[in-house]
Amino acid sequence: MPKQLVIEPEHMRRKGEIKFASIPVHSYDRAFSEERAARGDAALKNILRHMMIVREFETMLGTFKATGAYRDIPFTYKGPAHLSIGQEGAAVGAALALAPNDHIFGSHRSHGEFIAKSLAAIDQLDPASLEAIMAEHEDGRLRDGTAAHIGGEGKALAENFMLFGLLSEIFMRSNGFNGGMGGSMHAFFPPFGAYPNNAIVGGSAGIATGAALRKKLARENGICVANAGDGSTGCGPVWEAMNFASMAQFNALWDESRKGGLPVLFFFSNNFYAMGGQTIGETMGWERLSRIGAAINADSMHAETIDGTNPLAVADAVARKKALLLEGRGPALLDVECYRSAGHSTTDANVYRSRDELKAWEAFDPIVRFQTQLVEDGVMTEGDVLEMREIVGRTIEAVTRAAVDPEAAPIVNVEGDPTLIGKLMFTHNDIAPPSSPVPLIKQPEDVAAFRQLKRKSRFGLDADGNILSGMRAITLRDGLTESILHHMTLDESLVAYGEECREWGGAFGVYRGLSEILPYHRLFNSPISEAAIVATAVGHALEGGRSLVELMYGDFIGRAGDEIFNQMAKWHAMSGGMLNVPVVLRCSVGSKYGAQHSQDWSSLIAHIPGLKVIYPATPYDAKGLMASALSSNDPVVFFESQRLYDTVEKFQPEGVPEDYYRIPIGEPDIKRSGNDLTILTIGPSLYPALAAAEALDKSAGLSVEVIDARSLVPFNYDKVLESVKKTGFLLIVSEASERGSFAMTLSSNVSRFAFGDLKAAPRVLGSPNWIVPGAEMESTYFPQVADIIDVVTGEFFPEKKTPAQGSRNWDARDLARMAL
Amino acid sequence: MTSTPLLMPQLGNEITEAEVTEWLKQPGDTVEKDELVVIITTTKMSMELEAPAAGKLGEILVPEGELAEVGAALTMIESR
Repeated sequence: MPKQLVIEPEHMRRKGEIKFASIPVHSYDRAFSEERAARGDAALKNILRHMMIVREFETMLGTFKATGAYRDIPFTYKGPAHLSIGQEGAAVGAALALAPNDHIFGSHRSHGEFIAKSLAAIDQLDPASLEAIMAEHEDGRLRDGTAAHIGGEGKALAENFMLFGLLSEIFMRSNGFNGGMGGSMHAFFPPFGAYPNNAIVGGSAGIATGAALRKKLARENGICVANAGDGSTGCGPVWEAMNFASMAQFNALWDESRKGGLPVLFFFSNNFYAMGGQTIGETMGWERLSRIGAAINADSMHAETIDGTNPLAVADAVARKKALLLEGRGPALLDVECYRSAGHSTTDANVYRSRDELKAWEAFDPIVRFQTQLVEDGVMTEGDVLEMREIVGRTIEAVTRAAVDPEAAPIVNVEGDPTLIGKLMFTHNDIAPPSSPVPLIKQPEDVAAFRQLKRKSRFGLDADGNILSGMRAITLRDGLTESILHHMTLDESLVAYGEECREWGGAFGVYRGLSEILPYHRLFNSPISEAAIVATAVGHALEGGRSLVELMYGDFIGRAGDEIFNQMAKWHAMSGGMLNVPVVLRCSVGSKYGAQHSQDWSSLIAHIPGLKVIYPATPYDAKGLMASALSSNDPVVFFESQRLYDTVEKFQPEGVPEDYYRIPIGEPDIKRSGNDLTILTIGPSLYPALAAAEALDKSAGLSVEVIDARSLVPFNYDKVLESVKKTGFLLIVSEASERGSFAMTLSSNVSRFAFGDLKAAPRVLGSPNWIVPGAEMESTYFPQVADIIDVVTGEFFPEKKTPAQGSRNWDARDLARMAL
Repeated sequence: MTSTPLLMPQLGNEITEAEVTEWLKQPGDTVEKDELVVIITTTKMSMELEAPAAGKLGEILVPEGELAEVGAALTMIESR
């Protein structure tokens, strides 16, 4: 919504037609002699060798799955084997055109891409760099293990190191590249430019796009490649990523220093089958995958269909696309046709394709074709080819022998250390307080919104104890703004985006004023693409940046489900701790807007291992916890209640400090002391609980302690247990639907941890298990003061019972029977 | 000669007051109807207010940085 971009009715209403940039199909026609002259015979032989290594490696995996032995090595491989046999030309061809600082992000079928990219990087890196990479990884242990059990010198050692690290990872051994935490579908090794493969179809599209965003922001050389299959073009998040990478603002609004589309290549290995669904003619509308480029932008994404069975054609296309991307003309799309001659997995019976079709494609096996060409043109003799295959076979055999040997490739010792995997879930470390001023358009003191903050009272009550309005005292919104302002102005690696984040200041004004001081490349409006917002934030973080992104409503978490649950939450652990995911995902929790805009889904997020979860209720806590979230090297989901944005500080008598401070994540806070009953609240339930505590004090003489959870994950139970030891009663109040909620987890754990101190079972008061009604009926849904009083006097202190005031006169057991 | 007040608008159910952030016009300036006169700020957003009539801007009744209640006159537009 920038004002300088005007939507002119005259222009929009003019008659015309849309023309599309044409999309070449199989345009490669360079003579082999020309390639030979340009590349030299050694390079051509290496292309064949690399394809053979990929083929033999995957053949080994397939053979293990099918027969339990490879050559004379018996082994039961339990994991997946999604083989790319027949697709080696695509992987090796692409790698030829990429440098070590070009980063590929793969799919579940990406062993070949990993191997090809790494082999190409090993070819290109000088011996000292290779040695440094091997010496640095796990303090040289994998290199030493490779030397001892497989051998090799120089580049041969580096190749064996790479194959051994990968195969050990596939076998989930502790010496695998990712400590055995990634496996076949996720293995990666960043020093060779091989970034995570992804078991979710199309999962890398958004992540590679975010990594490309980081490359652009940090002005790093190189491109990012999103490797995916033809089937992924049916996935919404892939389209979101392609559009995100093409946003017009990169050219129309961003300043010269960062102008241009994102340097990301969407590389679709089109093997014509999405497992068993046939993309052409059955499951997709396109007859040529490359056609979809025309839907995204006026350049048709520079899309082309190319021959993936010819590595030279692939290398040619990737080199041309890379040049475009480095000129700021990205993104680009390649439809790389390469028939998968093996099954989707080893249980594939090929029921979806005919024998004739399989036979017809045999003539286009990339290895057979390439070696025939080399022999025909006299680059190699048939004897040379056989010898090369023999050597490759021996190498894979040696690597396999080492990888199945528990002495060379130790099994991950979970039995000896049962929380070993748990310890990999989080870094639990933070960056130092940011302190490097970054270039700004204006200084904060020159912006009205920030001057307004300076005029406000830091405490929310006046001298007589009256509550000040949000115009006169710092609000929860302001607390968030202050920490975000601090980090954005002192940490250039941090970028913020989401829907309406710039001029609007975020739908709820948390970024108000920031667009006046930050250039577009630090704060921008994203498309309404929740999946892309989160996936790119993850990619940006994996590539070394820090990300602050927003979902306008927590109810839109479903739109970014995979990206939050499988990407943001998992990559630190799945990388064996190699990668960090410093992403803060802000989610506002609505009210008054009914069933799809008012749900507290903090429990849903807390259920997913790998995410830290915060839900503050006061300005002081919001500011301090936002500072901690932005400092955390772990992914954080930060919930903000829309009802509380204008809330002023009522607890810290000194008010919300103007200076920067952090509040540790995971520490609940006692907001009111008492002796007879403990109420533990999550999010905005703090306020009805405090009002109920006041009322119970007056009406029933009960002294109620109120504890604000502040964080859900992690959660330090100590204060709650101490409180329960004193009171013996615990009521947990939350606005989440009760069934399966985090409040239930708290209740269950306190029952275990403090069983002897409890005078009654803890009670959870949440929202009922039905839709959030609109504003007029909301008080029948979210727990109210009267509901809290009814539970306390009705269940914990029957002697104080008064006629029920609230509306919850239902039988929870009956409701459960009725699916409620 | 008529005087038309420029009022602090109601910008949402729960908003009772807002800040006068920046006067874009000064007393004595001639303004067209719908010309931008003043920027106001609530807890959540900033907004430009337009002149309700053409004429000459009168005295500024709420200086920059001060709060005004919803419905309060911020200035008067004097028109012939």
